[in-house]
Amino acid sequence: MSMVTEIFSTVERVRLGLKDVGYIATTQIAHTVYLAYHLGKPVLVEGPAGVGKTELSKATASFMGVPLIRLQCYEGLDESKALYEWKYGKQLLYTQLLKDKLNRIIEGETSLAESIDKLHQYDDIFFSPQFLEPRPLLKALQEKDGAVLLVDEVDKSDDEFEAFLLEILSDFQVSIPEIGTIEATSQPFVFLTSNSTRELGEALRRRCLHLYISFPDQGLEREIVRTRVPGISERLTSQLVSFIHQVRKLDIKKLPSVSETIDWAKTLVLLHAEKLDREMVRNTLNTFLKAQEDIRVAEEKLHALTEHALREAP
Amino acid sequence: MDQILENFITTLRRSGVRVSVSEKMDALRAAELSGYADRQLLKDFLSASLAKSLPEKEMFEVCFSHFFSIDDVEGEDFPGEHDATPPAVQGAAFLTQAFLAGDGGGLTIAFNEAAGRADIGSIQSPVQKGLYTQRLFRELGMEALNRDIQRLTEEGGQEALSQAQFLESMRDNLIERVRSLIQRQLNLYARRRLDELSEGYTRNLHLSALDTRDLARIHAVVKKMVKQLKDRYSRRQKAARRGHMDFKKTLRQSISYGGLPFDIHWKSKKMDRQEIIAICDVSRSVSNIVRFFLLILYSLNEAVSRIQSFTFCSNLVEASHLFEKYPLQEALSRLKSGAGLPILMNRTDYGSSFCDFRDQYAECLTKRSTVIILGDARNNYWNPRTEVLRFISERCRRLIWLNPETPSLWGSGDSEMKAYLPYCTIARECSTLRHLEKVVEYLLRVN
Repeated sequence: MSMVTEIFSTVERVRLGLKDVGYIATTQIAHTVYLAYHLGKPVLVEGPAGVGKTELSKATASFMGVPLIRLQCYEGLDESKALYEWKYGKQLLYTQLLKDKLNRIIEGETSLAESIDKLHQYDDIFFSPQFLEPRPLLKALQEKDGAVLLVDEVDKSDDEFEAFLLEILSDFQVSIPEIGTIEATSQPFVFLTSNSTRELGEALRRRCLHLYISFPDQGLEREIVRTRVPGISERLTSQLVSFIHQVRKLDIKKLPSVSETIDWAKTLVLLHAEKLDREMVRNTLNTFLKAQEDIRVAEEKLHALTEHALREAP
Repeated sequence: MDQILENFITTLRRSGVRVSVSEKMDALRAAELSGYADRQLLKDFLSASLAKSLPEKEMFEVCFSHFFSIDDVEGEDFPGEHDATPPAVQGAAFLTQAFLAGDGGGLTIAFNEAAGRADIGSIQSPVQKGLYTQRLFRELGMEALNRDIQRLTEEGGQEALSQAQFLESMRDNLIERVRSLIQRQLNLYARRRLDELSEGYTRNLHLSALDTRDLARIHAVVKKMVKQLKDRYSRRQKAARRGHMDFKKTLRQSISYGGLPFDIHWKSKKMDRQEIIAICDVSRSVSNIVRFFLLILYSLNEAVSRIQSFTFCSNLVEASHLFEKYPLQEALSRLKSGAGLPILMNRTDYGSSFCDFRDQYAECLTKRSTVIILGDARNNYWNPRTEVLRFISERCRRLIWLNPETPSLWGSGDSEMKAYLPYCTIARECSTLRHLEKVVEYLLRVN
């Protein structure tokens, strides 16, 4: 049994494996990753910003011991940036450098047609793999030992790109007109993430397993903070997590994400905080609230929020 | 194929979750992997392979808990083995015989078959409960059972009476069972009708006829809509015109490479941010729509460079300062009450309001500005002053008229819409959130 099939042998091992690389997964996440591996299907991960969608694929890659190949989607992304491109510069440079060689080859031929015939004997030298610039999708297919392919924020790309993605996701192969079909040597583990900027197509959804990650509950978030910020006291962890959970209930523009909770915890540890107090919270609000208006809203309710957090975890 | 899973998928489909054949195959393989022992594992596996969006996930949650709890209950058979008295009644109904013989298994089968024949899965609303109950009774042969009980009671005698009594208690039990089955089916299948209403319904709701209890829901939808619009358009300040090579620039650059076109340049065009002048009728007939329109517009201020808002009824006043001074919600409520604005709330006069605009604010109009007029064009038979609208229309980039009435009503009665129409770049009906979204999307897209 190979290494990878072994670490995917039970759900529990997947969960612990992810934990070892610093990702605390809910059972639902572990179950979905396990299922995706065994069905060989891509996973479409949705959820609010900052719940660890991208982090999940990074963790999976290091847990499986394979490289992570990331494709960041944006409007106007097309095949030449996602799949492959010819190295035009190199092609031009080589034709210049090899001018003499080419001259010698076609020396002695009198007509144009004969010269071209002669050149044809040397195949499409300038359209060979040496002149191919692989982009993330092709790179992921070419990895010998498999890879984790992360197609990040797929909702930001255009509809056409989404349709193009379908082909790769269902067959794991691409065809390049000049070279032929390139098939995956080892099928990559694919994650797609989306913030639902626009509705993704039914066809894409059908081809993927679906995972919705919401903000973690307090217990889980405490565990995450403990794992990521070693040396933080139990009391402070409970208080700051309780505080963050209250802030998420406020009417603000951007809810604090899990990674921002971690940042805040790190900041507080650096400041040698033992427990939350109002002044310290006021001074460090900007680690997890990034808009002036949000900070204002939180400051107004600062007293009540801090008191509540202290009461919940005395 | 796995019968339980098949039934479950049917349940999901009836509840509005779309399940394709390939997804069904995935679910089947997932169920093979998980088995049915670990409920949580099965649920997560099926959820990952069958429910592909958040609303579907929620529906899945409901269906899963109902479906698998029903299985538990239905698994329980009818009570069998009592002190079986051989049927003393000749020509008795099936139910009578089965009850008296204590044939629990037979009864369970008959019950499930009858439920299938009565098609109780199609129940959709609570008012159909009676109908489906009656239908199931008929399929079960309840009438014949009642007849038998009647006959036994009339016959008299110790044995017959005790049999009748026994049958009666069994009948009550059966009725209870039928009722609860139908209630469960109703919970399972009819629930989504209510859920389905939520967002799609809200977006198509007529804004002029709003209920106060809808407001919160509408605000939530507006918030989501604004976020979507923002994400979609804030990042395209510069939309590259793909596929067009900038030949001159490429040639110029190629000089440093000995004339080789080494570095290829593409043409791109700059996207200007919109300057918007919103002129809104705030008479009662349109005030709600104005409220939501401005709410969306001002929430989008990152994608729009400058918004100036004017409100009018009998005369026209500028309201931009309200939005600078107060938070959005408060500014909107102030606008509605008219507090602090020198506005006359008599009969609406479009003509003189346009004149006010021309006389006082004409310098706002530039070749970059988009003028949006929101109103029903019902001018109370005053002079429409179309030449003033023409003056405005000639001095701005485009003029958009949003009318809360349907186009078939334009020009009827005191509506001057037909007269104003020639001077509008576009005129649209605008009475629901969906219409508003379309308009704002158009604004962000055009340049």
